[in-house]
Amino acid sequence: MLSYVLAGLGLGSIYAIAAGSLVITYVASGIFNLAFAAMAYSVARFYYFLLVEEDWAIIPAAIVSLFVFAPALGMFLYAVLFRHLRLRSTLVKLMATVGLSVALPPLINLWLEQPTDPTAPGLAPRPLATYDIFGSTINADQLATYIGLVVVLIVGVGLLRFTNVGLKVRALVDSEALTSLSGTSPGRVSLGVWAASATLAGLAGILIAPTAGLSVGSMTFLMSAAFAAVVAAKLRSLPLAVGVALLMGVATNVVQKYIDPSSDFGAAVVPSIPFAFMLLFLLFYALRGQAGDLVAGGALDRAIATQGGDPSVVSAVTGGSNRLILNPGVLAGVIFVGIVAFMPGMLDRFWSGLLAGGIAIAIALLSYTLVTGEGGMVWLSQITFAGGGAVLAAELVRNYEWDPLVAVLLGAVFIVPVGVIIGLLTIRLGNLYVALVTLTFGSLIQTLVFARDPFYNFGSGQPMPRPEFATTNDDFAYLGLAVFVILAILIVNVRRSTAGLAMSAVRFSENGAKTLGISVVQTKVLVSGLATYTAAVGGGFIAMNAGSTLPDSFNPTGGLVWLAVLVTMGARSNIAALIAGIMFVMMPQVFSTYVSHDYADVPIILFGLGALGLALHPEGVVIQTGNNIMKLFGRGRRTKAVVPPGTPGASGPSAHESGDVDATPGSPVSVEKITAGGQA
Amino acid sequence: MTTSESTSLLQVQHLAVRYGAAQSLFDVSIDIPVNSALAVLGSNGAGKSTLARALSGLVPPSGGRVIFDGKDISKWSPTKIRRAGLVHLPEGRGVFPALTVMENLRMALTTQRGGKDASLDHAFELFPVLGQRRKQLAGTLSGGEQQMLSLARALMVSPKLVIADEMSLGLAPKLVDVVFESLGKMREAGVAVLMIEQFASRALAFADQAIILQRGTVTWAGRAEDAGEELLHAYLGGATAA
Repeated sequence: MLSYVLAGLGLGSIYAIAAGSLVITYVASGIFNLAFAAMAYSVARFYYFLLVEEDWAIIPAAIVSLFVFAPALGMFLYAVLFRHLRLRSTLVKLMATVGLSVALPPLINLWLEQPTDPTAPGLAPRPLATYDIFGSTINADQLATYIGLVVVLIVGVGLLRFTNVGLKVRALVDSEALTSLSGTSPGRVSLGVWAASATLAGLAGILIAPTAGLSVGSMTFLMSAAFAAVVAAKLRSLPLAVGVALLMGVATNVVQKYIDPSSDFGAAVVPSIPFAFMLLFLLFYALRGQAGDLVAGGALDRAIATQGGDPSVVSAVTGGSNRLILNPGVLAGVIFVGIVAFMPGMLDRFWSGLLAGGIAIAIALLSYTLVTGEGGMVWLSQITFAGGGAVLAAELVRNYEWDPLVAVLLGAVFIVPVGVIIGLLTIRLGNLYVALVTLTFGSLIQTLVFARDPFYNFGSGQPMPRPEFATTNDDFAYLGLAVFVILAILIVNVRRSTAGLAMSAVRFSENGAKTLGISVVQTKVLVSGLATYTAAVGGGFIAMNAGSTLPDSFNPTGGLVWLAVLVTMGARSNIAALIAGIMFVMMPQVFSTYVSHDYADVPIILFGLGALGLALHPEGVVIQTGNNIMKLFGRGRRTKAVVPPGTPGASGPSAHESGDVDATPGSPVSVEKITAGGQA
Repeated sequence: MTTSESTSLLQVQHLAVRYGAAQSLFDVSIDIPVNSALAVLGSNGAGKSTLARALSGLVPPSGGRVIFDGKDISKWSPTKIRRAGLVHLPEGRGVFPALTVMENLRMALTTQRGGKDASLDHAFELFPVLGQRRKQLAGTLSGGEQQMLSLARALMVSPKLVIADEMSLGLAPKLVDVVFESLGKMREAGVAVLMIEQFASRALAFADQAIILQRGTVTWAGRAEDAGEELLHAYLGGATAA
């Protein structure tokens, strides 16, 4: 038993370092760092580069990686990204960190190349020494992990509790504005917090690499498991996060004493333990109504904050026209769909196959347009619903000999209740909790369903034929485009319907919507159901295009890339979804074919960077470009803008009206006529 | 430098402030000489707190200049402005609620090189109740005690100018007296005070000069003693002028 507990403490220690770092950076900066895994991978990859590829000794490699490279990475990311995000909406913060998680690993791989051996050494010398503790054996890697956690806790708690630096960090947690009014630069404190966070991420990455492997996927799984501890800590209690993380690690290993992890049952149960913890704590907090998003800063911080730049809100405010005919948005859509419709006949078989794949993904991306663009919710499990649609449709075809298209369209209906249940469970939670729960749900389904036989089938999944009338790439592309257009029209109509208006009202202000008598639950469930159906249909089309379900292609990590591509193009535009889907599939191949195979990941980096750009342009590339074009056409006939009544800032005198008033107390102004001006 | 700049501690010239699309201040000009007090009066939404925030660097001006102690601080950060000697006590209990009383006071001393113990002793001497509650979280103090803590954070660091934004808001009359006594002590120590206050009559009795803000513009400015009751009623209404 002791050996299981000791092994569990090793795993729990890594969870604890990750969870502790996530909590500290969240409370200090208001940003939940979804790019933690990407940062962990980046530092671990750099350590591997120094240790293995450059033959450095362990200690200098660790010192340079953890205390030079990692802090420099953290400070750089703060300077270019995180400092712009503090007072942004949760949606923008999450999207930006999703973008970072997408862009950073391929950037590192572009620089250092993919690791040659995914089983990287940790901080202990090889061959691994073993130690006997009370009759149980632990290896040097485990010992390094324990020491790592103890050092982190002692140094971390000591710094936070007993030093001026810690005092400033805790002050910053309370209020950035008040901290600056006290003469302490919040920027410098945040810089230090992000440097420390990157160091902790790197430490977790280096420690997990020997057992889980040096890959983004393994780091993402680690992060997803650490989320459970973070949720248990309600995102803000460091001791609780560390305690639950250790408990999860121990539970995960102790269970293996009683359940054979190599059995089917064991293989399903063991990786699910962190997610079971999360579910339990979530239900507990949700039932007690204690799971809302943390509001960054104090009253003063909120008073000086301006519009948060939520993409689902901003584009609703700035974009759009109510004209049915000659509406620029509709015109652009028709033109772009027309161009895509011409493409299959002009491309060879290979490229038209890619185009069909891009259109299939575009269908799935429409689910984000619904749930994020219309519903204002950050769901990270749309790719899982797509995978569910693919797997279920393939099973219906394989076991019941349904027609593939019917299996996709009707099978998707059976996935809808899953989305609705998740929607119902998370509706009372804050946006951040929703993101964490859906990402964790995706990881769980990947482990419990997609990676299990008969669905996995050595990675190729089950066969999923195309409909008999659309077996060629060209025909299938047309079929996909037709389904995309139908769903897009449906979304446009939903947007214009009473239910769509209710969605808009809920997106702008839930409390305001409630005062109008709108049911927030009903509205969000409707969006959840529609989005889940759309994702499942998209998944079915992806599988039909590939001829097989390919379960690995529905990994939640891939879902982050999908989302990054979509928000780069625009979260509320149907055409943006079509462009995003096609670019997602075709751009890497374009780079690989016409530039160099080494640069195939460059588009992914660009998509990630595009999502980072959300902090500056929340409306996305498509809407932004459309607005620029409209400005170009409208330049010659621009007239003075009429400010509608009630517009903020519309009241008050113009500069010339008050420009000649000298109100210096030493020389009192003479005011011709004093009126109460409605202020009494 | 003009003559008026050389005698002024704070000179605000044609200041304008925007919150996104909304403009809150229009062409505000004020002048605070060394060791003087200016009362800023106005009804809700007039732009008083925005003026305070713009002077302390919390919100950037969209136009105009702010000269403090001979230097143009219009584009300075709040941290740099605080270090230059301008202390802003914001509206609504300007304390760190999750830090203890002692930690709040230590935060106020982060810019001070030496004599920190003496400054802390001075704060506890001025407000003995804070000494008794030094290990208590500031968020658990009463409203009056939080204002004392806020005032202590300003009094212990010898600033050149203090901006006191609605310090008496929501306090019992006795505690309002404490606030005004504390601000009086600041003036005795040579500190200039910009006071934003709901109790217009008390503010005018305290200050040398006064301005009235209305919808983001200065609609009256002059000596505090010249601001008669009729004027205050016209601008502020009966309730606030009381």
